[in-house]
Amino acid sequence: MREQLGKLLEHLGQKEVATWHIGGFAIQVDPKTIVLSAIASILVLVLALFLRRALRQPIEEKPNRTQGALDIAMDLLDSQLLGNFSSPGFGARMLPFIGTLFLYVLASNWLSLLPGLEAPTADPNVTIGLALMVLVMAHYYLVRTKGLRGLGKEYFSPWWLSPIKILSELVARPLSHGFRLFGNVFAEFVLVTIFLAKLEPFVVPIGLRAIFGIGFGLIQAFVFTILTVAYINLAIEKH
Amino acid sequence: MLQEAQVAAGGVSGADLVQVAKFLAAGLCMGIGSLGPGIGIGNVVAHALDSTARQPEMRGPLFSTMIIGCAFVETTAIYALLVSIILLFVAK
Repeated sequence: MREQLGKLLEHLGQKEVATWHIGGFAIQVDPKTIVLSAIASILVLVLALFLRRALRQPIEEKPNRTQGALDIAMDLLDSQLLGNFSSPGFGARMLPFIGTLFLYVLASNWLSLLPGLEAPTADPNVTIGLALMVLVMAHYYLVRTKGLRGLGKEYFSPWWLSPIKILSELVARPLSHGFRLFGNVFAEFVLVTIFLAKLEPFVVPIGLRAIFGIGFGLIQAFVFTILTVAYINLAIEKH
Repeated sequence: MLQEAQVAAGGVSGADLVQVAKFLAAGLCMGIGSLGPGIGIGNVVAHALDSTARQPEMRGPLFSTMIIGCAFVETTAIYALLVSIILLFVAK
């Protein structure tokens, strides 16, 4: 166990990359990350199927326990995340996207709790991909609410400010958005690995797992999603 | 003792020095780079707590706004982390 972890520490930054040559392009993928993200997606899917089974009851009966738990969760999601949109109607329309993002990131972060698995969000490619998706969504809603003229106004309104705006909104924003999640999850992974390798793996790992795995995973998923809400809200806001 | 040190120093090659410089730079980058965000997040949370103590019914909205503010303040620390990761794993 210890030697294994020591080896893991030695190869911390390295990845096993599979390369495919298609035409003139070389496509490099990390199979481990892909499998782990697929497992996270499957977990969310299983949760959805379980809820569909558990919530199937006649409307006259009093709500069962799952219904109550789901109501509390939805209330929290509504007040903490979607309540930050400037208009409540738009918040309700964004529920599928924001909710799915939150559940997926949460499932990804909590994957590190299962033995033998790691969090796919400890790979910068996953988090940067999510951040780019959010960037595209924000621009889609910007164009939908303000039109192409609004998009041009956003970037070229005082023309001498446009290089800074383009740099900060198209490059720095997704970079910091993605790397925030990656940095926190990766730091947690390194910390737990070092503690497991250097300390007796008996009592300490349980507490560490509880604090870092569950608490930090939840907080980071929440921060990622609330930033998504803030970015999309900035895009649709009327000045 | 001096001779031993000289012999030990004789075995240090340029590549070792580069490695040392990388580790030092990564550590310093993270340490100095998180000073500012630490102070900033302290300020954010202190003022959020002040406001919550004054108006406890505003707790929910204040908390969300505080988290967003913390995340924006954190950004510079994230850039420091990016630089030190590049130093540790990417730079040759």
